[in-house]
Amino acid sequence: MTRAPAAWLQIALLGGLVLAGCGGPAAGPTDATARAARAEVQHGALALQRYGCGACHRIPGIAGADGVVGPPLVDMARRVYIRRGLANTPQNMVRWIRAPQAVAPLSAMPDMHVTPADAQAMAAYLHRSE
Amino acid sequence: MRTLLILAALAVVAALSGAWFVYSGLYNLSATQQHTAPVYWLLNVAMRQAVKHHAQDIRVPPLLDPALIDSGRRLYRAHCAACHGAPGIAPDAFALGLMPVPANLALTAREWKNPAELFWVAKYGIKMSGMPAWEFRLAEVELWAVVAFVGTLPALSPLEYRVAIAGDDDVKTSIVPVTIDASAAGGDAVRGQVALQQYACVSCHVIPGVVGAASPVGPSLARIGSRKYLAGILPNTREAMVEWLRAPQRVAPGTAMPDLGVSVRDAQDIAAYLGTLR
Repeated sequence: MTRAPAAWLQIALLGGLVLAGCGGPAAGPTDATARAARAEVQHGALALQRYGCGACHRIPGIAGADGVVGPPLVDMARRVYIRRGLANTPQNMVRWIRAPQAVAPLSAMPDMHVTPADAQAMAAYLHRSE
Repeated sequence: MRTLLILAALAVVAALSGAWFVYSGLYNLSATQQHTAPVYWLLNVAMRQAVKHHAQDIRVPPLLDPALIDSGRRLYRAHCAACHGAPGIAPDAFALGLMPVPANLALTAREWKNPAELFWVAKYGIKMSGMPAWEFRLAEVELWAVVAFVGTLPALSPLEYRVAIAGDDDVKTSIVPVTIDASAAGGDAVRGQVALQQYACVSCHVIPGVVGAASPVGPSLARIGSRKYLAGILPNTREAMVEWLRAPQRVAPGTAMPDLGVSVRDAQDIAAYLGTLR
């Protein structure tokens, strides 16, 4: 019986510390990472627009991207496969965007000479959590 | 007026407690724990009544032809015995873990007086029971053959069954339909929508208009009817869609989309439905 209040006190204290940590100004590094991730996603949206992906694909969040030549890029974060059984990982998405014919010869998707940085950003946009 | 208010309040309380119970997750959905007795009774009555109701207008053909019963036994052994067992033969291991456990059809055949009810269950299956629909796997005449054989189960001894199957060839089970009625012309979009479910398309694709098709394993089929290319390589014509549906592994080697043994008619029906998604 005597130990119980101490345990409760500890939990309350711990909870208070956690809350203080969340609200406090001490969260520098995670903040910077989040900012960088947001910038990457924004870069991706811009890249998807500039390379004209929307001419063939419907891409939610990209103005004017309502093409029906290829499949719609909806819910890509949850997709299991990209194409030809290629698992939907960020690396594979970059690979596919940069060299579609290397994955699926004869694919109608053209090689748009996407730079590695742009492809990476596009993948970040498509895989962003909403 | 006051009674009405009290009734309305009670209805709200009942709805809220129902919602709370569902979201609490307290009801045990495991397959090792049977439903509570009242729930079991309710589901059983609902199932029995639904089968009776839906089978009432089905015309039963003559079922006593020995050749028909014979072919029914082969089909039963190939497609039914794994779950339902046979006289003196246990179901397969996986079937013993099913909940509800598959019925012993010797008893069902004796107690369900109308063979059309067995036919209906075999053809359309029963939701959430483990009983699959065979509509897209077996032809009508084959379904009736199975019903004819099941009708003999109550009087079939284990020894007789053993003797009967001794002469049979080894049975192979396969997803490829044995003989689906191929004479019917394809292109029926309504039937195609049912076929999408029966070929498990819904387990990998989001398909507008199909409840439960919400799984993004492969690409969404939204507006597939307006799409220029299939699988990134085939121009999207009706013929190309049929070809793709029937042999994805040949069209795009390495694709995760499996060959599902889709018949020409079923592929044409599915293509017709997908064509409406514009």
